[in-house]
Amino acid sequence: MILNDLLGSDVRDSDGGRLGEVSDARFALDGTPGQLLSDARLVGIVVSPRTAASFLGYERLGITQPWPVAQLLRWWHRGSFLVLWEDIARMDPDAVYLRPGYAAYEVGLQR
Amino acid sequence: MKRLLGVALGILTAIGGFVDIGDLVTNAVVGSRFGVSLVWVVAVGVVGICLFANMSGRVAAVSGRATFEVIRERLGPRAGLANLAASFLINLMTVTAEIGGIALALQLASGVSYMLWIPMAMLAVWLVIWRVKFSIMENVTGLLGLSLVVFAVALFLLKPDWGALAGQAFAPSVPGSEGPAVYWYYAIALFGAAMTPYEVFFFSSGAVEEGWRVKDLIQSRLNVLLGFPLGGFLSVAIAACSAVVLLPAGISVTTLSQVALPVAQAGGQLALAVLILGVVAATFGAALETTLSSGYTLAQFFGWSWGKFRRPARAARFHMAMIVCLLAGVTVLSTGVDPILVTEYSVVFSAIALPLTYLPILIVANDPQYMGEHVNGRVVNILGLLYLVIILTASLAAIPLMVVTGAGA
Repeated sequence: MILNDLLGSDVRDSDGGRLGEVSDARFALDGTPGQLLSDARLVGIVVSPRTAASFLGYERLGITQPWPVAQLLRWWHRGSFLVLWEDIARMDPDAVYLRPGYAAYEVGLQR
Repeated sequence: MKRLLGVALGILTAIGGFVDIGDLVTNAVVGSRFGVSLVWVVAVGVVGICLFANMSGRVAAVSGRATFEVIRERLGPRAGLANLAASFLINLMTVTAEIGGIALALQLASGVSYMLWIPMAMLAVWLVIWRVKFSIMENVTGLLGLSLVVFAVALFLLKPDWGALAGQAFAPSVPGSEGPAVYWYYAIALFGAAMTPYEVFFFSSGAVEEGWRVKDLIQSRLNVLLGFPLGGFLSVAIAACSAVVLLPAGISVTTLSQVALPVAQAGGQLALAVLILGVVAATFGAALETTLSSGYTLAQFFGWSWGKFRRPARAARFHMAMIVCLLAGVTVLSTGVDPILVTEYSVVFSAIALPLTYLPILIVANDPQYMGEHVNGRVVNILGLLYLVIILTASLAAIPLMVVTGAGA
């Protein structure tokens, strides 16, 4: 599976209810040290309830400029959340299913 | 002293490098049909390109990322690819137009058909890209391009009625012979010619090529803020020359020789020779910039190693892509399509694609993770947003106006 197959696919909870679409994947560079960078590890996926379109980077930090672009994008992606890899039950070709009792984290990066 | 020389050189290069085949043709066409009543668009376009060239230069100097790397990171793979496809095709169209422009100028000088000059022009462009150092390439074409000042000189020699010209420029109105839709179509074409996206791709990648740091920003700002407006002044001189000579004679520009006509009338053979030198230098310089831009955009999107600071063997895909682009442009020209027509379409399509380039720059210039303390100030953001509205309006209006006016016919 490549990332392109994952991005934009539906996300459902354990009962099959639709939660949104995969709009991004979040990686941490903390794997085996490589020549330039360490290997990337998939931390989780960002689920956006309305659209799988890009956040243009506005999900990470609380940037409010330039008005109103930032506000519009944030409003469009309201209700988005991060689900950790541990909480993903399975990835089917049509949808990603989460485990029961999954935790929805805020999408912003903690400083 | 050395620093002062560097600044002067940078400004002169920016002036000479501002005008390309798009500016030449569009300004002459507009001058011959609308007089100087569209000069305000050049002013709006110049302020816009100053604003965004500066912003992209700052992003490149602070974060080390050129514009298409920023676009790739911000839009993600899919929207980024769509953006690349549009930007790349329009850029290819501009490459085609510039090579055609070199060939047409050489035809004007020699009387030998431009079709025979096209392969030479392509070969010369490729050799320079392959062999010549970035800074030398920039400075030589920029300085020689300054010969286009001959348009301003010609305008003085023509002894126009300055009051009438100023009246037209400052109280613009649609001339009786043209409809408002055509007026606005050419307004968009002029805007697109002044703000062509390749200028920003090239400018920001050039900043990385020359290894700019934060301390170089003052000099780059001077180059842009003085050089581009003076380049815009050359554009206005081109339009004014056409307005003074061609408009009263009822000649609307369809060939490069007609662009040169007012200069030849005012200054004779010598002026014509200087003009041809200027046109060759300006189109040659722009052919280099657009060809490099096509390599830059592709390489930056796909993550290939790029740059003239690397030996070609170290940036093989980058150089290969540019060779393919040059061949593609020449193939298009070899069908016998009129390069002037290609130019006229390329500036309008540039206007359509403007938001694709300028929105990501504006967004990233606000991101402290990239920019640290060098994020946009409030004034720059207000201006940037104002321009985004103008750019979006022009982009959305371009196709309907093109259809309604039959591409300005």
